Amino acid sequence: MLIFRRFIKHRVAMWCLYLIAAIYVLSMFASLIAPYKRDAISLDNAYTTPFSAAKDGSYHVFGTDHLGRDLLTRLIYAARVSLTTALTVTTVSTLIGIAVGLVAGYFGGFIDTFTSRMIEFISTFPTFTLLLIAGSIAIQNSDAIPIPSLLSKTIGVIMAINEREGKQVVMIMVIFIALGWTGVARFVRGMVLSIREQLYVESSLALGASHLHNIITHVLPNAMPPIIVAYTLGLSGSLVAESALSFLGFGIQDPTPSWGNMLSFANSYMFNYPWMPLIPTLPILVCSLAINYIGDGLRDALDPRVQTEITRAKRDALLKAIHDRSAAS
Amino acid sequence: MATFLIRRLIQMFIVLIASAVVSFVLLYFAPGGPMTGLRQIQQSGRNKISADDIARIKQRFELDLFVPYRFTRWLIGFPAGPISIAGQTFLADVQVGCKIPGMVRLRYPDGHTEIIEEGCEVPITFANLVDRRTSRGILFGDFGLSQVMLRDRPISTLIASRLPYTLQLMGASILISIAIGVPLGIYSAVRQYSRFDYTMTTISFVGSSLPTFVIGIICILVFAVGAKEAGFIYLPPGNAVSNKDYVIPYIGEVIASSTLDRALHFIMPLGVLVFVNIAGYSRFIRSGMLEVLRLDYVRTARAKGLRERTVVLKHALRNAILPFITLLAGVMAELFGGAAITEAIFNWPGLGRLLVDSIERNDYSVTMGLTMVSIFLLLLGYLITDILYSVLDPRIRLS
Repeated sequence: MLIFRRFIKHRVAMWCLYLIAAIYVLSMFASLIAPYKRDAISLDNAYTTPFSAAKDGSYHVFGTDHLGRDLLTRLIYAARVSLTTALTVTTVSTLIGIAVGLVAGYFGGFIDTFTSRMIEFISTFPTFTLLLIAGSIAIQNSDAIPIPSLLSKTIGVIMAINEREGKQVVMIMVIFIALGWTGVARFVRGMVLSIREQLYVESSLALGASHLHNIITHVLPNAMPPIIVAYTLGLSGSLVAESALSFLGFGIQDPTPSWGNMLSFANSYMFNYPWMPLIPTLPILVCSLAINYIGDGLRDALDPRVQTEITRAKRDALLKAIHDRSAAS
Repeated sequence: MATFLIRRLIQMFIVLIASAVVSFVLLYFAPGGPMTGLRQIQQSGRNKISADDIARIKQRFELDLFVPYRFTRWLIGFPAGPISIAGQTFLADVQVGCKIPGMVRLRYPDGHTEIIEEGCEVPITFANLVDRRTSRGILFGDFGLSQVMLRDRPISTLIASRLPYTLQLMGASILISIAIGVPLGIYSAVRQYSRFDYTMTTISFVGSSLPTFVIGIICILVFAVGAKEAGFIYLPPGNAVSNKDYVIPYIGEVIASSTLDRALHFIMPLGVLVFVNIAGYSRFIRSGMLEVLRLDYVRTARAKGLRERTVVLKHALRNAILPFITLLAGVMAELFGGAAITEAIFNWPGLGRLLVDSIERNDYSVTMGLTMVSIFLLLLGYLITDILYSVLDPRIRLS
């Protein structure tokens, strides 16, 4: 509660939180607020400059792309795709990471050795290369990863895309999750290892509490604050990684809009229409900055609890963020 | 120390082999490859490609061998032919692959026919392997042949042509960013909450939260497109050299592939990488320094009457710099791996772009080679970091 109150005091972070929430909620009503149809192609209207009327007299606030599709409309739909992808990927991989890290750190022994080795092994792989390879396999072969149709339909409804597009997006998500959970798991394991040794955990065990009770009431709540910070950083990380992947052409594919693939098209028309790449750049810029500010606010809110293990955990999180960045630079 | 080294080297070897298996399997299942186009031509029926032609192409890329043999030949260049011990040859007749598969024509009740491959008409044995290209295997530095990008030419040629560009870009950017980022981080920590610190943290915060491709595109828009329109000194937007002469205001004519031309092309990608790295490094050093400067021994050092400079640089920095060394573990892999996205944006002909291109064009042997190199360098980086750590920090004993 104290942390929450301290976070609210952090003005910038609060505004950023409102901003992201507003963008996401608005994108959920895309069909109501978007001025045009998502894929309405009209070649006569192609390359309309922002804030001007197209050849047929229709008005486009952010202009149109090379196929004459309204960019504002696509931005709104893309927000839905990009943000949902980032949220799902980060949430699922954090949950898996927490579960694995808790079990490995709390019980130790053989389980710990096994999972730690596995995590180490997965993290020696160059993540971004693997993402590129897996993305390239997934876009060439739509059955590379079996996706239950219920899942792709649900994702399709959330993102306002059809089932086939949904399937592709789910595949990209699965790849991100498969490679993303290790960082969280390692970080949670490290914290749980030191929390496990605390006296309150030991006394609770002595009083006859079960391991499950101990994990839920003592270990998890104490490990939670840094996990939340890592979650926020991970959120901006996967937003950026998804747009980078789509930008290079291995992520979400064209009729489905995502900020990354919109930028990749705009990039090829940059010299004739310099305003074009600015349009998708803007939301990527705003969202990644805003999410990072939220993370920063959370970190400040948590800061008074300067205990060694938490500082170390924060440093590990920062280290991981820097490593991820240099991999994707 | 010796036991530690031996154990680590064995561990490293196991991880390397395991990751070789994983990357081989992953790319084995990837669609495309050198045969895709051919199948389409063959099915269209205009240009008949004989079974011999296909067999010849398959042989080039070893696609006619069974997967385990392909893997071992790729990894260590074994088997290269029948094994001969003391004048006697063994295993000469063992089948390792299939040169021409048997074709079976299926006739369906509704009249249409389909040809499927079944069985093996001409098998390949150990003895046939003798007249193939001998490979030393990727573990010994032989990457094999490129399948698509430089068809039939060794991948090492491809890598050698790109390596200088990547080394140049990554080497310069890493050195410059350490040289600038570390002092900035230290200064920011020493003057915490000063105006300099606020500016610095804001800039590095923005730098480390923005994606590289966004920074790169904005740079191109401002320094290449915008500056050119405004008639100001502009920078070339991409490539490492230009192929024709051009005129830049205030500088004059730039002759293609002269030093000036190369330098102008080098500035923007270098600038983006340096900016991004400095942001990360200085934040990291700053937080490490802040943590150490609070500690008791720093206060003791000050109480002894040491100069502030000595306290900061000799006492505090030595401990704060330790975690920075773990950060440098990845540097070697980065140095040779290049920066895929930056290179893609600026059309820089380095290894990072080679990787992206090879994946895009389904040239798997190139992708596998590059992945193996980067995994190897990363493992080596970890090993060196561990050794360095124990040298620099006497509290850590390797065992």
